[in-house]
Amino acid sequence: MIRMFHVFKTFPNKIHALWDVNIHIKKGEFVFLVGPTGAGKTTFLKLIYRGMLPSKGQVIVDGVNLARLKTSLVPYLRREIGVVFQDFKLLYDRNVFENVAFSLRVVGTKNAIIRQEVNNILNIIGLYHKKNTNPHLLSGGEQQKLCIARAVVSHPLILLTDEPTGNLDPETSWDIMKLLFKINIWGTTVIMASHDKLMVDKAQKRVVRIERGEVASDTQKGIYS
Amino acid sequence: MLRNMFFYIKEAFLSTKKNGIMSFATIISLTATLIIVGMFLLISLNINLFLNEIESQLVAIAYLKDDISEEDINKLVQDTSELQGVKDVRYISKEEAFQRLREDLSEHEDMLAGIPENPLPASIEILVTETDFLEEIAFQLNQYKGIEEVNYGGQLTKNLILVFDFVRNTGLAIISLLIFISVLIMVSVIKISVHSRHEEIEIMSLVGATSWFIRWPFIIEGFLKGLFSSFLAVIVLIKGYLYYMEKIRIILPFLNISSDQIILIRIAVIIILSGVFIGIFGSMISLRKIRYEEL
Ligand SMILES: Nc1ncnc2c1ncn2[C@@H]1O[C@H](COP(=O)(O)OP(=O)(O)O)[C@@H](O)[C@H]1O
Ligand SMILES: [Mg+2]
Repeated sequence: MIRMFHVFKTFPNKIHALWDVNIHIKKGEFVFLVGPTGAGKTTFLKLIYRGMLPSKGQVIVDGVNLARLKTSLVPYLRREIGVVFQDFKLLYDRNVFENVAFSLRVVGTKNAIIRQEVNNILNIIGLYHKKNTNPHLLSGGEQQKLCIARAVVSHPLILLTDEPTGNLDPETSWDIMKLLFKINIWGTTVIMASHDKLMVDKAQKRVVRIERGEVASDTQKGIYS
Repeated sequence: MLRNMFFYIKEAFLSTKKNGIMSFATIISLTATLIIVGMFLLISLNINLFLNEIESQLVAIAYLKDDISEEDINKLVQDTSELQGVKDVRYISKEEAFQRLREDLSEHEDMLAGIPENPLPASIEILVTETDFLEEIAFQLNQYKGIEEVNYGGQLTKNLILVFDFVRNTGLAIISLLIFISVLIMVSVIKISVHSRHEEIEIMSLVGATSWFIRWPFIIEGFLKGLFSSFLAVIVLIKGYLYYMEKIRIILPFLNISSDQIILIRIAVIIILSGVFIGIFGSMISLRKIRYEEL
């Protein structure tokens, strides 16, 4: 599903965020991307949805070489990839329902289907009863779930989440983890950047460790370090 | 698609609301520009009417003495039509001259009351092919005994055309500048509105909206502002024009001022199209490129 060949990313300020990364993530896998702050995790995720292009090397997603993908086709790549950001990026000028519906509206989905899909996912994340609430009235955990709902409501092939449990207590964090596992079991390939040792150790999934932009280790059923 | 159209229009209104003061300022400045454009169009329309009128009067008029014989008149007409540059020669009798005056003043009959007898002389009108010939023709005609006086408006006409051309060109330059400034204002307002909505735009691009889908709400925003401004401008212009034209007509009844509805409607259409064009064009250039990637 995702392959990287000798991927380098150097920013204009000469910072090397990624250095010779090679990786293969199969369809349906659940992968933790761990490493200290500044290791290059967010950069790694951005390369997958073409939020950035690598300085060198190839990124291939679902058989498509992203460097060769025409700009006009980037939207269609993005429809196959759900992204949950470190900073939620919710829209606080509309309610919970509309935040989730937004990602269906902008791809021209029919209203009836939007209603059905959004209500369905809100039920799954347990926020159906708050669908008319403004997201700034939700707790941190609820907002995180809302972001996940928005990312998966269109049934993407891949879900990328950037430190979704970063600022949450362990109980809420595990709640989020269970939600992600559920999405993974439906068939979505999930990559989760994290430095939440507790969650990573508890989950027993594949762990890719990045240090100073390089893949330092890659273990099945791994632990944080 | 209709469904998408609803989304665009809703987002366009959301954005206008979010930038209330800026939106208001854009509409005011665009309206002002369009009013000036319209004023220019109306003035230049009337200049054109006036020029057409005097250009159809590329004539010299030779006023005849009252005691001239019919024979002499015939000879005069014959001789004149053989001069270089003469297109047509027409004899206007005293009665015909008076009749014409009466028609010209038909709405102001009272001005003729109290004139005891026909004071106008008979004349011959000489229509020329070009103003350049007028001087020579006038010189030739002045040799005849039966002619009282020769009048021609050649130099005056030439000067008027020059002055009006100058007015028109300066006006055109000022209008171009104003339209340019309006577009700039529109561009910066849309840019501010784009910026105030960068979160929506970012999320749109991240969940797979095409660049046109992202642009449409802003194009509609520009379109609506342009449309609204031009309607305001048209109302102010037409009302103002009709009001002042009435006044001018009373003061200067001889001036031929157009109040032709077709022409006014045409000018209204031009104003509306310009407003809409400025609105859409402004949005387009502030959204030339939707960025999907960071560097
Ligand atoms: N847009 C950018 N311009 C310059 N440097 C950047 C940019 N984004 C990230 N970096 C740098 O690249 C390195 C990796 O960043 P990042 O991928 O965000 O790490 P992580 O997500 O693991 O904390 C850091 O040193 C960071 O400062
Ligand atoms: Mg990060």
